[in-house]
Amino acid sequence: MRKALSLILAIAMLLTMGSAAFAAEMTEVGTPRNETLIVETQTPTDVPGQFNSYMQGTQMGFGIHQLMSAMMWEMDTAKGEQFGEVAEGFPESNEDFTEHIVKIRQGIKWSDGETLDAHDVAFTFNMIKDNPGINQSSYANAVFASVEAVDDYTVKFVTTESFPRLSMRFGVTIWGNDYRIVPEHIYSALEDVTTFKDSAPVVAGPYTVSSYDELGKWILYERREDWENSTVGVVTGKMPQAKYILFKVLGDDTTRQMAMINNEIDILCEVTPEALEVMTSANDKIACWYNEFPYATSDDPCSKGLAFSIGRGAPYDSADFRWAIALALNFDEISMNIFDGAGRASVFPILTATSAMQELYYKPLQEWVEAFELDLGDGTTINPFDNGYAARMAAALGIEGTEEELVDMFGIGCWKYAPEAAEKLLIKAGLEKKDDGWYFDGAPFTINMTYLADTEAQAGRGLVAAYDQLTKFGLSCNLSSESSATWDTHGATGEFEIAGYWPTGGITKDIYSQINGYDADLIVPIGERGSGQGTRWNNAEATEIIQELAKLSPEDEKSYELAMDFMKIAIADMPFIGFHSGVKFVPTNSTNWENYPSASNPYNGPWWWWSCFKYITTEISPVA
Amino acid sequence: MKFWKYFGLRVLTWALTILIGVTFIFFIPRMFPSDPVENMIGQMQSRSGQMDPLEMEHLRKSLRVQFGLDGSLVEQYTSFLWKGLLHFDFGPSLLSYPEPAGDIIMLYLPYTLGLSLTTTLLAWLIGNFIGLLAGFRKNKRSSKILEGIAICIYPIPYFIVALVLQIVFAFILKWLPLQSTIYANNGMWAYITSILKASVLPAVSLLLVNTGWWIISMKSLSSSTAEEDFVLYARYRGLSEGKIGKSYVFRNSILTQITALAMSLGGVFNGSIMTEIIFGYPGVGTLIQKAILQSDYNMILGCITISIVAIATATLIADLVYPLIDPRIRYS
Repeated sequence: MRKALSLILAIAMLLTMGSAAFAAEMTEVGTPRNETLIVETQTPTDVPGQFNSYMQGTQMGFGIHQLMSAMMWEMDTAKGEQFGEVAEGFPESNEDFTEHIVKIRQGIKWSDGETLDAHDVAFTFNMIKDNPGINQSSYANAVFASVEAVDDYTVKFVTTESFPRLSMRFGVTIWGNDYRIVPEHIYSALEDVTTFKDSAPVVAGPYTVSSYDELGKWILYERREDWENSTVGVVTGKMPQAKYILFKVLGDDTTRQMAMINNEIDILCEVTPEALEVMTSANDKIACWYNEFPYATSDDPCSKGLAFSIGRGAPYDSADFRWAIALALNFDEISMNIFDGAGRASVFPILTATSAMQELYYKPLQEWVEAFELDLGDGTTINPFDNGYAARMAAALGIEGTEEELVDMFGIGCWKYAPEAAEKLLIKAGLEKKDDGWYFDGAPFTINMTYLADTEAQAGRGLVAAYDQLTKFGLSCNLSSESSATWDTHGATGEFEIAGYWPTGGITKDIYSQINGYDADLIVPIGERGSGQGTRWNNAEATEIIQELAKLSPEDEKSYELAMDFMKIAIADMPFIGFHSGVKFVPTNSTNWENYPSASNPYNGPWWWWSCFKYITTEISPVA
Repeated sequence: MKFWKYFGLRVLTWALTILIGVTFIFFIPRMFPSDPVENMIGQMQSRSGQMDPLEMEHLRKSLRVQFGLDGSLVEQYTSFLWKGLLHFDFGPSLLSYPEPAGDIIMLYLPYTLGLSLTTTLLAWLIGNFIGLLAGFRKNKRSSKILEGIAICIYPIPYFIVALVLQIVFAFILKWLPLQSTIYANNGMWAYITSILKASVLPAVSLLLVNTGWWIISMKSLSSSTAEEDFVLYARYRGLSEGKIGKSYVFRNSILTQITALAMSLGGVFNGSIMTEIIFGYPGVGTLIQKAILQSDYNMILGCITISIVAIATATLIADLVYPLIDPRIRYS
């Protein structure tokens, strides 16, 4: 009996050691580690093997749109500019923007060898229009009168009304886009495209599905042998260097950190600065956008800050009230409380201070905002802009650099911490200060502040920091958290007072798609769901500009001028107090792979979860 | 006749329990402040920025129709009773539409059952055996040591045990994977090996904690039974300690444990959320959690209905079997 037990134990040990040695060279899915780039997925799936993006439930962030999808227009995130992917260039539109000719790039082939041409493009848009079960169908019918292939490489889009932003709406501007071109020779043979799982997809991107977990925990992609015929191959001429890319779910934060430290993963989506510190101190191959402070990139296009439910009425509908809140906040302290001072100040409402936007909008508006004055209601005024923020933060954190470098790191400035002015503005907005606190309409005034418990740390920490500041200032505040599912409803119906959120985002010069939801004509009463922004900012001048912008081409210089005017109105009316641009700590591990995009090599942003990742794969190279 | 009356009453109780349970679980998610359509639109916006207002309006209408959220509550409820409760057809998962919620549950259920059923039964067997020894022979050193170990492990939350096991065996020693990866594409052996590798740590963490509870409860039961008059009488009659332990103490103590086991077996359908999250083990627990967070009504209904039916049925079986085990109980 004992002999048998010993034998079993010995076999078990050998198996364990053998599998450990095997694991050192191979991944858990049986591919050579040195040929496999392992990436954390942003979105797990409950429908494994479902790759048809026009079927409900397909999780595109699981490598599907990053590696396989064909977009009409893609995004150069470093420059903040679109470029043609399937399209050869930008649409040539008629004068009233109702007819658009789009040339299709030649040379792209589907992974089964068929040519991708104008017929695939026209088929895709008509398929969307003809199938009410596709999410985008109703909208596509509202926009397009017809889409037809004029010849093999030309598509004519006819819109029901003036539509100057075809590439902006039907191409990628930030994360991705829902309009992906499908192979006509496959999809045209289907009885119902909305129930076709497409488990062995024929794609135009550089990777195809090699295998996947039937439980939805991982998908293994393999580089196409004819990668040069893929979208990326034709656009760049460069080969994606990893033969395999494994997208996998990693679970909770602790496991993510342990996997990264053990070199079991090469790229994580996003972590907190505390988690990054743990990982970098345990493994010197782990890095972030910067090798030193601020570590994170500040170029994520969604600035986090305080959103007001303006539709609730007084005092939230008063610009004086919202400005009072802004001036009651000590922004330096808020910055320290969020990510220890890391992050570029992005205090203008609505527009995020990414590097590109800082150059395009923030710096050109600086002179105007420095001269901007607020009437405090007692005959005095204040200039609320504080351009000393970058220098103060640098001094506090021991950062050295030129003024330009510091402004790039910390932004052009923030709103002043001016409690006395804030008090005057609150009084101007109708509040009354008594010995036991602030009153409104004769009753004690309390602000209910909401943050999202299960989503980005930056937004939640910002709201909590603001709560501390406002409480210190003397306002009575309640703090509560909501799951993002609850917030999605309350945010849309306006059932909140002040929330830590990011109402919009974008990185292109043309800001129409970021601001069109602020059209006051779209506002519905509190409690109802409308199609405009949930804050219900009602500004006639801003609405007029939005409606005028809708008729102009994004390339038209007047669009830019109107956008600048819009920003001045927004700053004066302060519908949203921005804190920082999206500050992302996205770690990489250079044990097996290197040349990830970084501050010193910013060929792209660190957006592994965006569709532009396929272009990053041509640069990430194996460690020799 | 008495049996049939007893049986009829128990079945009626079983049916009523299920009906009340599923009625609650049908209406409660619909009182959530969240909404699956808004949730889906919110997710799209948080990923890719502000949605075109016209597109949002069209999308909202389209999703409401697709998800069947346009009908009245009464219509939805009667449809659920007929389809869901009687045919276990819970409709499509709202977030994975049109994939039936039942199909998704069935994908995960075997893993949940495999892990939870095995660990529940093993823990019950081991725990009761050790508990019996510890209670019946409470003055022996081995009994005290075993009981001491159980007392030490039991109060530790099982996710802490799971984390410790993960850190030691997966992170430091690297003997087992940090996260379960089940690989079905390379033959049966690779598939079985991957399942075993993925299950070891979750199973051990559940086993350790559950066993502790069974040890403590059985020890308490058996030590009080061991002091009953009929046990003393058996000793005075000169019966062996083995015979007393098996026939007098064990048989009388195990009755409560059988009822508790029945309840535990019903509960295995819920999965073990924390274990599943920590080890990335595929299971129904995380499915329920995700469904609740994202207001996937049909998925919530599917998972919880199965659980309610399982627990109620396990209790019914225990009620019916009990008189066979304990002759003192009759069908009355």
